[in-house]
Amino acid sequence: MDTTVFVPMPDDAPAGDDGHRPAVTPAVRARALTKTYGRGEAQVRALDGVDVDFATGRFTAIMGPSGSGKSTLMHLLAGLDSATSGQSFIGSTEVTGLNDKALTALRRDRVGFVFQQFNLLPMFTAAQNITLPVELAGGTADQQWFGTLVDTLGLSKRLEHRPSELSGGQQQRVAIARALIAQPDVVFADEPTGNLDSRSGAEVLSFLRRSVRELGRTIIMVTHDPAAAAYADRVVLIADGKIAGDITDPTPESALAGLDALRTVAAR
Amino acid sequence: MIRLTLSQMRRSAGRLAAAGVAIVIGTAFVAITLIAGNVITSTTYDSIAAQFKGADLVVADAPAGEATVDAVRGTDGVASADPMTMSYQQLEHGGRTIYQGVLAKPTNLDVLPLEIVDGALPDASGEIALPVDVAERLDVAPGDETDLVRGAFEEGTDGTEPTWTEVREQVVVSGTLDDPYGAYAMLGGAAVAPAADVADWEADMVAPGEETSAMPATVLATLDDGADLEQVRTAVEDAVTTTAQAEEADASMLEVVTPDEHAERVAAETTGGENVVFVTFVLVFAAIALLVAALVIANTFQVLVAQRTRTLALLRCVGADKSQLRRSVLVEASIVGLLSSVVGLVLGSGLAQAALAVGRNMDLGVPLPSAIEVTPVVVIAPLVAGTLVTLVAALSPARAATRVAPLAALRPAESPTAARGAGRVRLVLSLLVTVVGLALLGAGVALSVVAEEPTTGLLVALAGGAFSFVGILVGAVFWLPKVVALAGRVVGGSGPTARLAAANTLRNPRRTAATSTALLIGVTLVAMMSTAAASARVTMDSELDARYPVDVVVATDLDSGPAGAPPVTDGLAGTVAGLDGVATVVEVPVTSGDVSVPGGDDATLPVRAVAPADADAVLRSTEMVEPLAAGTVVVPEELSEVYGITDGDALTITGADGTLEGTAAVTDLVDDGFLVVPDDLARLDAAAPTTQLWVGLDNPADAVAVVPSVQDAVADTESPAQVMGAAVERATFQQVIDTALAIVVGLLAVAVVIALIGVTNTLSLSVIERRRESATLRAIGLSRGQLRGMLAVEGLLIALVGAVLGVLLGLVYGWAGAASALGWAGEPVFVVPWADLAAMLGVAAVAGLVASVVPARAAVRTSPVEALAAE
Ligand SMILES: Nc1ncnc2c1ncn2[C@@H]1O[C@H](COP(=O)(O)OP(=O)(O)O)[C@@H](O)[C@H]1O
Ligand SMILES: [Mg+2]
Repeated sequence: MDTTVFVPMPDDAPAGDDGHRPAVTPAVRARALTKTYGRGEAQVRALDGVDVDFATGRFTAIMGPSGSGKSTLMHLLAGLDSATSGQSFIGSTEVTGLNDKALTALRRDRVGFVFQQFNLLPMFTAAQNITLPVELAGGTADQQWFGTLVDTLGLSKRLEHRPSELSGGQQQRVAIARALIAQPDVVFADEPTGNLDSRSGAEVLSFLRRSVRELGRTIIMVTHDPAAAAYADRVVLIADGKIAGDITDPTPESALAGLDALRTVAAR
Repeated sequence: MIRLTLSQMRRSAGRLAAAGVAIVIGTAFVAITLIAGNVITSTTYDSIAAQFKGADLVVADAPAGEATVDAVRGTDGVASADPMTMSYQQLEHGGRTIYQGVLAKPTNLDVLPLEIVDGALPDASGEIALPVDVAERLDVAPGDETDLVRGAFEEGTDGTEPTWTEVREQVVVSGTLDDPYGAYAMLGGAAVAPAADVADWEADMVAPGEETSAMPATVLATLDDGADLEQVRTAVEDAVTTTAQAEEADASMLEVVTPDEHAERVAAETTGGENVVFVTFVLVFAAIALLVAALVIANTFQVLVAQRTRTLALLRCVGADKSQLRRSVLVEASIVGLLSSVVGLVLGSGLAQAALAVGRNMDLGVPLPSAIEVTPVVVIAPLVAGTLVTLVAALSPARAATRVAPLAALRPAESPTAARGAGRVRLVLSLLVTVVGLALLGAGVALSVVAEEPTTGLLVALAGGAFSFVGILVGAVFWLPKVVALAGRVVGGSGPTARLAAANTLRNPRRTAATSTALLIGVTLVAMMSTAAASARVTMDSELDARYPVDVVVATDLDSGPAGAPPVTDGLAGTVAGLDGVATVVEVPVTSGDVSVPGGDDATLPVRAVAPADADAVLRSTEMVEPLAAGTVVVPEELSEVYGITDGDALTITGADGTLEGTAAVTDLVDDGFLVVPDDLARLDAAAPTTQLWVGLDNPADAVAVVPSVQDAVADTESPAQVMGAAVERATFQQVIDTALAIVVGLLAVAVVIALIGVTNTLSLSVIERRRESATLRAIGLSRGQLRGMLAVEGLLIALVGAVLGVLLGLVYGWAGAASALGWAGEPVFVVPWADLAAMLGVAAVAGLVASVVPARAAVRTSPVEALAAE
């Protein structure tokens, strides 16, 4: 466990970037973000006062055991669901304060999503699926960016195919292109490899990493798989709705160790 | 298995309920129709029973004549016997005319089901008691006089043939009558006059030398106290038969029955007649409604099966066989069908009962029963029809359920994809039926228009229309999606929301086709009726224009002829012209002219004058006076035939002041004399009196309101003029068409409503199916408004494609129908009832939009989080 950098976080300090890269303005921030489901006896504290920053131009993984609140955190950060209390920001915009209309515009223009089930529209071709967010905003896709994305993701030969004619990995690549087409400030991916075999999964993960390294995008990925998390620049560990650790430049081994440590913490 | 079926039904309860509404409406329709049929029967029975109220025995279908009555009266045990005689006569007072049935006053007033309200029953000859409303309409009270105009044969003097003339008599109103039991409500009420008067009137209507009234008689008898009904019945039968034999009359139909038995018999005859026609007619529309409901049901089950693919596959994996799955779907359909039918039956009965209550309060004049009669047929027919229709509609979805492969359980869940394409057999069959149907339709039109065989033509066209429509509907699954695709491409250009909507309608072509087809059926039929009615109206209008060229004629010379007719009162023309709704008034002078036709008989005929410009202004059809000019004599075709005048003949007409030489121009003018220009008339008779006013109305459809005001204006001047409102006839005719159209459209509207429910249902089902997809769209930036818009466009597309196609088909069928039904009446006119069609499209569009509201609300509520949630 030589690479373990698991450090329990002090409650008042946000989980931030360590110093060995030039500091950048966080793309996404959470402050005392809390989400409870249900009432009374049945109340579940899915998120419990989370403070965390996600740097621009980085690929961050949120990792934790099943039921730890990863998805909930992501939903709140992306403005898909409303927080019980606390704040979250994308850039300088406070997401927690927006109404549905503003949230829709935010998601459309500044956020991209990659889903576990790909969620492509079956009646549209790959190309149509990719350009849909731009069209919903009433614009047309930037042809050069579209070309770059399609080339990077290796989709040029598949553009006229419908989702049913594509493999899972190809569908997820289309979904990544769709998430990136509007050049969003941040892309959220919830278990993007959950429905893929390990080879397609690896392929998709390297594409995500390339989007960050080569195209300068910001990606926040939720996963419970240490191997997937290792593709990221940084891993934020979460347990019982709280930030429980931070791993910089993770490897599969360090990620796994972090996860194990969480289990030990939980068992304590 | 049944437990599983039930639990699946619980999960789809909402969907099934929505589909069930279609069946509910259909079965309620059937129930109401049958109940209405029963109401007609029992109303008939009640009113007939009321007519014989007070009598102990009814001698029905007895030989006519005094002898029969005397025979009954003379039978032991009979207290009184009165023939029930009703004579129809025309009553006139204050410019109003009423055609009224008049009963002979019986000797025993107990058998008269009418009661005096005011005054008394008639005693002396020349008296009459009138129903209250008739007295009101004629504006008379007891003691007033009214005209009774009747037809009679006048004995020819010195051996000439007897002639049919009109006799105008004054009768005194002795009292007013109420009909508390509604005995004569269905016959427009009954007046009462002394028996001798009624007998005289009837006798006058029989040509001298002919047999007296050949109508079999009905005699009402009462019995002495304590007399035995059965004994007297037999005795009366014997007495009447014996008398008939003596008189050599036919008594084979004779029946001596109690009033109840009689009413039952007559009501049964009615039930086999008008009643059956009515019920059959309306049931045709109920059947159409049920057919549309079947489409809605089939669609719903199709979708439910698709949505349950995974469950069904799992069942197959754990060992359920195909027939179990099929049975499960069919059991589900039976339950839905039966439950919906029960609800429909209850709803229908409730509505019928409510309508009856409202009807009774509205005092329709017909005594309606207080409660509906629920016969076994009323209960069983809707239940069987509703359940069966649902079951049949579910057959194909049930088959689809059996086709689910066990493997489907192992595949990742995805939204159900299109059912596999329809078979080739179906395509060929539908094409064949369509082509044969269209050929028959064409043949029918040709038969009617070219061969002038309207009856055969109409029947052939009807069969052809029905055939081709069935073909088109069966084939809809092939061509309708293509139309939707085309429409989708058109709207898809307008933005991403519309393109999403268009793409959605094409995901499941079969479902879209079925939904649109359901609407197409109703819209086609409504458009067809509306087009046919509009075409018929225009065709008949030109016919009516020719027959009644002048809206209203005020004339003093109708009875006497122009010779001694008094002129129309001075100033009347101005007064009439000032009335609301009157457009033009033309004064038409007349004189008597002696006409000599070269090579023909001489004759004395009325010659009228009108200026060509005036004629153009006042006549509905100017064709018939087109040749009118100085030196021309317009000759009505009828007169030309009678007097042997041909077009271009030189006519010499001699009048009081001079002679007119003119050229005959025969036109299809309908008149009793010639028509010339005023200057020419002046040459014949410088002082020709104005005996007619030709009145043109602003809108002939208002005739029913305007003509009475003309009548009043004429009555006020106390001039002897008569008012002939041809326009009233025209308006009445149009009203008949309009009313018939309104009724038929109303009946068809039920089918349209069901189809619209189908549109909502399909959209709701699609929304459920696409839950995750909607959430995805929301997550990637589709706004709530855009999501609503998408569904609205989907609803619009489905509804409008059905409606537009229906309107087009309806136009074709309507024209074909009008051509084959009225082809004989002249050049068929093809009219596009723009307003009606636009209204239909408007309703469809609005309904399509409204249909999307509920599903859209559900879709919008779906949180985008769901898109990310694992299933
Ligand atoms: N809609 C919800 N209603 C109630 N509880 C929920 C809901 N969504 C999530 N939870 C609960 O919140 C906790 C965190 O869930 P989630 O964020 O989905 O975890 P993860 O994605 O890490 O597996 C879990 O205990 C889960 O049961
Ligand atoms: Mg999760």
